[in-house]
Amino acid sequence: MITPLKALRKNRFKTGLIFMSMSVSIAAIFLISAIATGVVSMYSAMLKTDGDIIVTQRGIADTFFSDINRSLTQTIGTMEGVKEVSALILGAAPVDPLPIVGIYGVSESRFHSYTLIEGHYPEAGEVMLGSKIYDTLKHPRTIALSKKEFHVSGVFKSPIGFEDGGVVMGIDDAGRLFHKSASIFLISLNDLGKSDTVVGEINALDGSCEAKTTDSFIDSYNQFKIIQTSSDVIAALAFMMGILGIVSMMSMVVNDRKAEFGIMRSIGLSTGTIIVRLLSETLIISIAAFLVAWGVSEGVLELIKHADKFQGYINGEITAAMMLKVFIVSVIMALAGTLLPAVYASRIDPMSLISKGCQ
Amino acid sequence: MIITANALEHFYGSEQVLRGVDITINPGEFVAIVGESGSGKTTLLSILSTLLRPSKGEVRYDGLALDGWGNIDRFRRHNVGFVFQFHYLIAYLTLRENIALASLPDHAHQIDPLMERLGIERLGGRYSDEVSGGERQRAAIARALINHPRVVFADEPTGNLDTKNALGVYELFARFSLDGTAFVVASHDKKIADFADTIIEMEDGVVKKITQR
Repeated sequence: MITPLKALRKNRFKTGLIFMSMSVSIAAIFLISAIATGVVSMYSAMLKTDGDIIVTQRGIADTFFSDINRSLTQTIGTMEGVKEVSALILGAAPVDPLPIVGIYGVSESRFHSYTLIEGHYPEAGEVMLGSKIYDTLKHPRTIALSKKEFHVSGVFKSPIGFEDGGVVMGIDDAGRLFHKSASIFLISLNDLGKSDTVVGEINALDGSCEAKTTDSFIDSYNQFKIIQTSSDVIAALAFMMGILGIVSMMSMVVNDRKAEFGIMRSIGLSTGTIIVRLLSETLIISIAAFLVAWGVSEGVLELIKHADKFQGYINGEITAAMMLKVFIVSVIMALAGTLLPAVYASRIDPMSLISKGCQ
Repeated sequence: MIITANALEHFYGSEQVLRGVDITINPGEFVAIVGESGSGKTTLLSILSTLLRPSKGEVRYDGLALDGWGNIDRFRRHNVGFVFQFHYLIAYLTLRENIALASLPDHAHQIDPLMERLGIERLGGRYSDEVSGGERQRAAIARALINHPRVVFADEPTGNLDTKNALGVYELFARFSLDGTAFVVASHDKKIADFADTIIEMEDGVVKKITQR
């Protein structure tokens, strides 16, 4: 352990470059994965609040485009095992000076899921604001949505960034604003064991609707898949860039230290020993780079979370599972990037140490 | 260990640098290979030391061809030591660590006594850029000797040393050869003749003369 550390210290300039290259790559992987996970988990959490089953318009690509008949909630509410049905309208609109804000029209029964910290739940012509947007808009008394003024009745706090940076209003007002009856129904059950039966009954009730358990909806939701796939592709690119950075830097390192590896070969150190020595050097760098990238990523995510520009909608989340995954990826990146230069180093001909031209 | 070279020939591309060299090196023998630049002495040293395969002919250690010794890295580590013109000490390791790097586990306890014999016992914790050229070369010699090799090959080991230090290196070779380690040294330096048991004079890839003292 000491020898690789000494080697790194001796070659501190190139060690620093490798460290920075790895840190940036790992931080990029962390950030893109964390943001994607954060977006998915925020939206999932929103849907899961009092929602064991979710009903949308059949075949729509995004819940924002969904339009279903709110009157169905009465029939669904009478089904066996159903505890509560809420209708939601999910929309977005500009709220000066913000270019886009999430608007949630909810039925009265769902108001209780928002923790009021000021004022009261909205009545007709009123809205309540998430604490984040309330601060961003500097505590307004009214807001304008589609040229219509709404009185701010209260402020709520939500751990879900989309909600905390959004506007909640009664579903009737939202229906008039977005010209639809409801986007989705969220159904909570008395008995989760009956979810399949209830899903079947709802799907039989109206062919234009599609009911799914919330977990199944989240698993199959195209938007989540697109976000996840995009994040995986960008993370893979960052990984490849990291590997290429390490390969090129390590090749230079090996070239600089040719005599060192030649002497190791001449004193009989095996090729495996030389490869392991170089791998252990980059392994040390990768562990340090991982820790720094983690810290930097947490810092950047915190900044993004509180940046007014993002309205709290980008709320990255670094989970323990992600940490483990990124750590493994970092180690693989280090080892894969070092392997070729290390193999080259292990094959350096000790003859190169004997001055040329002295035949 | 007796090293025998039979009918060695070697080419770099179309240029022939060794032409039918036959030599024998006995245990504890101090052999100097001398000759002008281009005479083939470094190539001969490289072939004898297992670093280079001859184009033709063969080298035998104790009558056994090199292929018969199995893993060449292992063979080198146990039987052969090298001293180069440039000390090639690893800069980020102390002198002692450089010697330890080459040491087999069961020879590690001999590092300090060996450094003492070479007069560098107080420099073990220093780095190569903190000692003189002569001291560096002594550390390089210690690294070559730590595993009690049967033979040490040295290529122009005094090329970067002043006369006093150069003579000191030859003296060391002569002294350690008494322990049974053979030394094969390629050199331009004529003073080596005062210390070597055998002088092999090379010219145009041919052994021109062998002188036994």
